[in-house]
Amino acid sequence: MQTDIIQKKVEETVLSSYEAMYRLAYTYARNEADALDIVQESVYKAIKHASFVKEETYIKTWLWRIVINTALDFIRKNKKEIATDTFYEGGQEDSYPDFDTLNALNTLTEKEKTVVVLRFFEEQKLHEIAEILDENTNTVKTILYRSLKKLKLILQPEAAEGAQRYE
Amino acid sequence: MNEKKLEEMKQDYEHIKIPKELRQRVEAGILQAKGEESANMKEIKNENNENKKSTIAVYIGRIVSAAAAALLLITVMANSGAGIAHAMSKIPVIGTIAEIVTFRHYESSKNNMDADIKIPEVSVKNEDGTVNEETTQKINKSIQEYTDAIIAQYEADVAAAGESEGHMNVSLDYSVITDDERLFSIRFDELLVMASGTQMVKIYHIDKQSGEIIGLSGLFKDGTDFITPISENIKQQMKAQMAADESVSYFLDSDVPEWDFQAISADTTFYVNENGKLVIVFDEYEVAPGYMGSVEFEIPTEVVQDFVQEGFLR
Repeated sequence: MQTDIIQKKVEETVLSSYEAMYRLAYTYARNEADALDIVQESVYKAIKHASFVKEETYIKTWLWRIVINTALDFIRKNKKEIATDTFYEGGQEDSYPDFDTLNALNTLTEKEKTVVVLRFFEEQKLHEIAEILDENTNTVKTILYRSLKKLKLILQPEAAEGAQRYE
Repeated sequence: MNEKKLEEMKQDYEHIKIPKELRQRVEAGILQAKGEESANMKEIKNENNENKKSTIAVYIGRIVSAAAAALLLITVMANSGAGIAHAMSKIPVIGTIAEIVTFRHYESSKNNMDADIKIPEVSVKNEDGTVNEETTQKINKSIQEYTDAIIAQYEADVAAAGESEGHMNVSLDYSVITDDERLFSIRFDELLVMASGTQMVKIYHIDKQSGEIIGLSGLFKDGTDFITPISENIKQQMKAQMAADESVSYFLDSDVPEWDFQAISADTTFYVNENGKLVIVFDEYEVAPGYMGSVEFEIPTEVVQDFVQEGFLR
């Protein structure tokens, strides 16, 4: 595909899904300023390297991947600062009354968090998540179950059936 | 009940507040990328023509032409206030000044395989401003061998994938993590995403007093055993962490004794953190299952204070 055409498509995808990109970035960064930085950098990378996308159908997957990688990079570089932010999170003005439930995500590894967010919140299919993470579908499934177990969401068998429904 | 919890989480997720600024930042990102693109277009086109027959589709290695621009943007002047550092320090000799710039940026993408590798060049100077040729050459040669190996591996993997879709993403970035009176350290973080992600860390250290590249043993007085006390301390920390949190796991007293962590090596990866404490770094899988990622242990200075050389740790 022509570079300028694919770039246009990437731009369109960015403009239609930047709020989702932000939410995903936020679950990693856990504060507004960093999440904004991650989104801006991801958008920059996506447009700049748009010519790397070979088929239009991959754009969304590719975009998620960029956001995730950018967020992880960001966290690695700012590990110390994020730890401090978390500590004071309760006192911040922009914290949410029900934010506790999302804090539960922090008990997960980065990969587990990604799988849970993409599967349940962004409603991506398992094979799409596998594509985003470069894993095979079975591995993603295993990670998903391990994550739910860690979140103590499938302690009872009936709840496990509930989780199955999402597959 | 549990499903309800998941539903609550989802609602919270959807209620993450979208800042007003977001749209502007997105547009800024787009403009930024497009601006650079038009500036680089000519150059990229030329390179593409030259590389037409090459199997690597895109190679934007702007080696020298962009180096001047990179110098302006990314130059990290290490130890800009050598005189001040000297005044504050008790160590009589402050010789070396090290400077680091991004010398080359290797970017490539083919069939869903991407590489993004930043290669710096270090310049080590003596106190009188002359270049310390020996250390400068040594460290740059070592950095080059290290980064060349990563690039070669990537190119081999691309070639092996042939025309089929690969799944690989390798990135390498560096940062100056220590630059105090005695020590200058550059840290390389390699992230290899292939089937699963692997994190690798490599750190170079220059002893400013001698102007030499040093490993862990260079922090300590000659002939002293620093390996045993540090290793024992790490084992204690592993045990304590595992006892406190069941999701933490290290290869220690495990079912497979031969995998267990025994001792650090004399050239193990380390750095000195901002509190002046020694930190030992292990790559992913080295001492813990993969999900733990790359792990680090801060060693209390008391453990090594009898044999550490002056000026490195606090």
